[in-house]
Amino acid sequence: MKRFVMQALKTPMFLVFIAIVLIYGIAALGQPAAVNRYAIVTAIGIDKANDGENEIEVSLLTFTPVANVNYTEKYKVVSAKGRAVSEALDYAGLRLGREVGLSHVNILVLNIDLLDEDIGHYLDYFSRNKVLAGTTKVVVTDKSAKDFLSVVEKMDSDSSIKINEVLSYNKEYVYATDSSLESFFKGYFGPTKVSLVPLLSIIKDETGVGVSASGSDDSGQSSSGSGQTEGEIVNNGDTLVFKEGKRVLMLDGLDMKIIQLIKGDFKTGSFVLENYSDDIFTNAELGFEMLENKIHYKVVYENNIPIFMVESELTMELAEIENQGVVVEKNVEFMKFTDQMKNAVILKIKNLMAEGIELMRDNQIDLIDFYTIMHNSDPKAFSKFLSSLENEEDYLSQMVFKINVNIFTR
Amino acid sequence: MFKRNETIGGWQTGILLFVLFFANKILVLPSLLYDQAGIGGIYVPVILFLFEFALLFLFYGLKKKYPEQSFGQILKKFGKFVYYLIFVFLMFYFLGKTVLLYNITYIFFKNIIYKDTSNILFLFCFLPIMIHLAVSGLRVMGRTMQLFFPIILIMVVFCIVVGVLGIDTNTMLFTSKSSDVFLSTFRHISAFGDTIFLFVVMDKINVKKGEWKVVFSLAGLSAICVIAVCAIFIFSYTYTSYMHPFALFEIMSYVKETGGIGRIDIISVVVIIILTYFHLAICMKGFLDSFVETFKLNNIYGSISFQIVFLILINYLVLNVEKAISYGEVYLPYISAIPFVIIPIFAIISLFFKKREGRK
Repeated sequence: MKRFVMQALKTPMFLVFIAIVLIYGIAALGQPAAVNRYAIVTAIGIDKANDGENEIEVSLLTFTPVANVNYTEKYKVVSAKGRAVSEALDYAGLRLGREVGLSHVNILVLNIDLLDEDIGHYLDYFSRNKVLAGTTKVVVTDKSAKDFLSVVEKMDSDSSIKINEVLSYNKEYVYATDSSLESFFKGYFGPTKVSLVPLLSIIKDETGVGVSASGSDDSGQSSSGSGQTEGEIVNNGDTLVFKEGKRVLMLDGLDMKIIQLIKGDFKTGSFVLENYSDDIFTNAELGFEMLENKIHYKVVYENNIPIFMVESELTMELAEIENQGVVVEKNVEFMKFTDQMKNAVILKIKNLMAEGIELMRDNQIDLIDFYTIMHNSDPKAFSKFLSSLENEEDYLSQMVFKINVNIFTR
Repeated sequence: MFKRNETIGGWQTGILLFVLFFANKILVLPSLLYDQAGIGGIYVPVILFLFEFALLFLFYGLKKKYPEQSFGQILKKFGKFVYYLIFVFLMFYFLGKTVLLYNITYIFFKNIIYKDTSNILFLFCFLPIMIHLAVSGLRVMGRTMQLFFPIILIMVVFCIVVGVLGIDTNTMLFTSKSSDVFLSTFRHISAFGDTIFLFVVMDKINVKKGEWKVVFSLAGLSAICVIAVCAIFIFSYTYTSYMHPFALFEIMSYVKETGGIGRIDIISVVVIIILTYFHLAICMKGFLDSFVETFKLNNIYGSISFQIVFLILINYLVLNVEKAISYGEVYLPYISAIPFVIIPIFAIISLFFKKREGRK
């Protein structure tokens, strides 16, 4: 033992190790555990405050780490007001008795009333915060963000489908769009200055606002009640379009589908062809499943005018037939995707895409980022085209679009 | 003559260069490159790595002509003034780089994990190991790096592969002016020039015939990895690069949500820790050898001097990201004249000296 100690004392690194353990060990013993120091926030909501002194109200959906035999999680919603987001978060921390930890925030909810101003004001704090992930979802709600979080609280407490899972699916579906803090600011600072944010509504059930037992143990601690709001979050694919941070337009699910057909940024969805008639069908409604979508863009310049060609290759499957007044006798033949059907689908899709382009032109919003595609294809020609315009921002109106659609069946 | 416990061979030299080329380049630099030169920021590391390889070729030439001599012995031919001046400059150069490297890493960990940890407490994690590695000799350092090399290589390649998944295909290209690229090249020159370390420890490097291609291959691989990290970061974030100051960490974070594979960015944190230990040790070794050459004193005095100045500088000079960036972009580029101008000039002249002596 004595020899071991003598040997250890002769090894400097061993002494250093002992010193480090003593210093860090003593420092660590004096500190509370991180989970007791930080409030784990999973969602943030921002509303306009209704009093003159404070500008905004921030609501936090926090997770309370408590031993529980029910295999459910305890959440609560805590709100605080302030003149700015950072101040409101500080007050919220005071109410919680902990420092607000934003590392686990999945979703940022904004009340639609905030959108009268540049939305960048409210998101600026989060863009500078190093711990908040860029993949945090940003949504707008037409009700108060606090009520929204109360509904989310119930969903999370019941371990049911979580709101961020709903929003992640948005990215794959033709009717909707994904919006993260990262994609919002990319659009905001990009050449088009256009960003998309989904709009989610709450439908309260007929029994009115309810308060359930889960998560209400600490209701005395926060200034706003932490009772859960009974209601349902509805995602119709409604999307708000922002240009330079200001709301310019709202697109419904069908408008988004049209835009996504041009963008090609989806993996699944459905398509309905109405009033289709041929030898077999009379004014039938045909439902198709969209399985795959490939979009190619090509830009050529003629007489200094860009001709933007959109080539869409859609793989579809005939999924449903509604043919009134006719008894379906031969199912196998009716499930065939005939050439006549294909041509009708192609025509409809082309018309829809043309509508989408008109929508963008009328509102001067470049939702597809044609600007970047045209610039990359020929920077000099594009620069020359822009300089020939009276208003450089109105380049969409001066472009020519050609659409080509091919349908493949499975 | 080579001292047995001090020499490193070809593989260890190559690994040392592989590790060293990551210093000061994989955290804040890519964000700064985009900020100043846009997409053209990708050309900056390419241009500066060309300088690095030019330095490496110069070292190769010098080593071929003076296989057992130290750089100090070569410089003595130019007179004592030049000899002392260059080694004093080298001391400042390595000290400056160590301060910047340490503080950027500290700021990174402070922002990501250890919010309340003070600089001094954080220093305890690095200082003992860094000093031990630097003082123990180049062979110990080389062997330790050789042990960790497979882990570093696999993790870096993994980070790059994962980062590729987050690239935004719709990025505006051809937007940078050449003047912005060259200005950015000058401002970030201090992040490069690491090959100069080989000159300082020239007499302790014993690369056998045929092993030079290993040295160049590993250096080339490292350069490709660094350029890949910069390119992936710039293409992934573009307009939002200002929001992401820590490149290697951020390129992993981007796919965290979309891939649904959890906090894989922890792998980049591990890589950064391992690399930082070695970078700090190498820079301190560079300082110590320069100190010994200048003052002819023991390593211990050099180590103590280093620590005192180092502690003063890290606490007062580069406390936050803004100060560190200002220090790295405003002051250090002038000190970087040493590896990119002064030493190559004397090295090239030394190559000619030998020829003239041969003819006489």
